[in-house]
Parts: sequence; C-alpha cells; structure tokens
Amino acid sequence: MRTTTNDTELINRLLSGDNTALYQLYDKYSGALFGVILRMCRDQNKAEDLLQETFIKIWKSIDGYDASKGRFYTWAYRIARNTTLNALRTKEKLIQTDDLSVYTNIKDDEEAPDYSELKGSIKSLEPHHQQAIALVYYSGYTHREAHEKMGVPLGTFKSYVRQALKQLRETYGTKLVYIWAVLELMA
Amino acid sequence: MMEKKKILEEGLLELYLTGELSEEQASMVEEALDQDTALREQFDALEADFERMGMEQAIAPPPAVKARIKDSVQPNLIRKTNWTPLSIAAGFALIFGLSSFWLYEKWQNAESNLETLQTQTDRLQRQVNNLESEFRLTSNRLESINNPDVIPLVLYGNQKAPNGKAVAYVNHKNHLVLVNPKGLPVLPSDKTYQMWSDVDGEMISMGTLPTDTELVSLKYIENAESLNITIEPAGGSDHPNVEQLVSFVTL
Repeated sequence: MRTTTNDTELINRLLSGDNTALYQLYDKYSGALFGVILRMCRDQNKAEDLLQETFIKIWKSIDGYDASKGRFYTWAYRIARNTTLNALRTKEKLIQTDDLSVYTNIKDDEEAPDYSELKGSIKSLEPHHQQAIALVYYSGYTHREAHEKMGVPLGTFKSYVRQALKQLRETYGTKLVYIWAVLELMA
Repeated sequence: MMEKKKILEEGLLELYLTGELSEEQASMVEEALDQDTALREQFDALEADFERMGMEQAIAPPPAVKARIKDSVQPNLIRKTNWTPLSIAAGFALIFGLSSFWLYEKWQNAESNLETLQTQTDRLQRQVNNLESEFRLTSNRLESINNPDVIPLVLYGNQKAPNGKAVAYVNHKNHLVLVNPKGLPVLPSDKTYQMWSDVDGEMISMGTLPTDTELVSLKYIENAESLNITIEPAGGSDHPNVEQLVSFVTL
C-alpha cells in the first residue's frame, strides 16, 4: 500500500488549486512533522516557523510529488527534515565562523539526548535501538554521522535501525490484530 | 539480482527513505523498486512503519501555525492568477491599440487632405488652362487688331439702325477681316446681319454677323471699294436686300 486513496484525492484537489486540501493534509500530518521538527531544533518558536515553512513548501512544490515513488508522508518528512537542517545550518553560520559542520554542533548540544521525548511503541525498544531511531529520524543525523555518534560501526548501526524498525512493526502488527479484533466485535 | 542484494545488504532502502542517497544511488534504488515487486513490498512496509512511527511521535502544533499558513497561502492564491504579466500585456495591447488608432486617424486625415488638394489642384489646373486659352484668344485678337497693317473702320448705322455701330478691322496685307458687331441693335431670331464687299458695283458676301460675338472673322474680298451691312433672313442670302442696308463705309 502506497499513498492512500484519501491522500491521492487530497493531493489532486491541491494540484487543482483547492487550498482546503492543504488544510486537510495539515490536519493529518502536521503533528507527525512537528514532532520531527521540534525534536530536531529543540526550540518551540523556531519549530513553529519551520512547520509553517514546510507546509508552504509542500503547497508550492506539490506538483513535484510523485505518488508512484512513495507515500506523501515520506515526501513531506524529507521536506521538513531538509528545511530544519538548512535553518540550523544558517543559524550556525551566523553564530560561528570556524569550519565546524552543523552536525558537530548539534552533537555538542546533545551530549545527553533526551529519549524521553520519544513516546509510544518506541519506548518498548531496547535503548540502543531507541537511540538509533532517534538519531536518524528525529535528530537530523545521517546514518553515517549517527553511527559515529553512537560509536559503533556503520554496518552495526544500520542493523540497529533495521532491527528497531522490525520490532516496531511487530508491535504495530499485534496492535493491528487487536484493533482488527475490536472492529470485528463492533461490526 | 545484483542491485537488490546490494540494496538490502547496505540498508539503502532506509537511506533512500530519509533522502540521504546521492542522486545516482537514489535512481538506482527507484529503478530496482520499479522492477522488483518483492523489494517494492519491503519498501512499502518500511514506509508504512515509518509513517506509523511518525504518527506515534506526533506533537500537536499550536493552532496559530495553521492560521498563519492559511494567511500566507490565501493572498498567494490571488497572486496565483498572476495579474502582473497579464496587466502588462493588456497595457501594451492598449498602447498599441491606441497608437494604431491614432496613426490610422492621422493617415485618414492625410489621405482626405491629399484628396482635397488633388481636386483643388485639378480645378486650378483647369482654371489656368481656361485662362491660358482665353489669354491666347484675346492676345490673338489683340494682335490681329492692334497691328500697323490693320485699318479700323467704323460703320455707323442709318435710320434702320439708329445709334448702331460696327467696327471692321481690315488687314490688306494678310487678307483678314475682323468685325465687332456688338454695337448693332439686336435682331429678332429670324433675321441676321450680313456683310458685303462692293467690287465694281457687285456685292459679294463676306459672311453673316451674329451680334452675340465680339469679333467675327469674315472673308476678305480683293479690290473691295466699300463694306456694307444689310439685314437678311436668318442664315444669310446670296444677294443683298439693298432696301435693308444698315450701314456702309468706303475703303
């Protein structure tokens, strides 16, 4: 299953100039994207601005979205992530003049990453799996940077991420079975 | 398949998901996804998990953000119709339209002016021609009258034409006779004046004298002793009606 039919309809409406479709996409995805942005930049006001910027970018470049290549959320996530990274990079440039990369600075700021910010099924994962997920998906690290951060080889780090996702799927799977059972009972 | 193996072993799907791959690698992954259903299913599952995780980690943004997005999208919607180039184009069109109209008006004016001038010129040309021919006629007449070889003779009317007077200009050298009959009384339409030369007692017709003409050119008769004017029926006679003699002059 790729982009849901509901999303496809919203995107088609947005492409035809119907802005209410943007607000519906916002209602559906703003929370997830704000979760990413806020965890990356750790500044409420900044995160709000970046969320706004992200949705304006989505609105402006919706015709660049190709549903056959992946889900709308994945596409929107990449926009949110890049927008936030660019903003952090600009900020770093303004503050410091030496040749350190933005990532190095994030790492300095995050000597003790706050995992408690993550919630739900992720918390049931082992700590190193949680950290791997948090670094890659919620701190704006590339896999290459994240494995250095965790001090494990890249291959090992990648397998952490894969295992973490696999475990998450399993927990989702059981939840889905549970939801399905509830729905069946209701029907 | 080589690529599939590489993609799975190197965890390229995860990197592709977060957009960390180079363009080249990304298109390689996309190609593999298009061709391999099993790989596609794996990626679909990864995306689904990722989205689900995202939803789980969601933090509700304050409502103000949505309002701000609405604000910045709404006026842009109006701009989306993009009136600027349209109005510039319309402005140019208007300028072109007006200037074309103006030029057309000018052209039409010039055209009609030209036409007027043409008619005026034609009229003037005709007038000049008329004047020229009149002048030529007049100067010819003057030349034939005001000439040292010309003898002007006045023929005074008798009791048949009281106060009548005709002037004859005789040029013996060129054998020309011109008569101005304007001074003679006007005759009814069935009558005409006729001029005769008396040669050895015989009257020879020189021609009729219509009174509405200023100078009448008549036949010159050699050895004429006198010039005589009679009243004849319209069209003139072969022999003069001597009773109707109006005037004569001896040469």
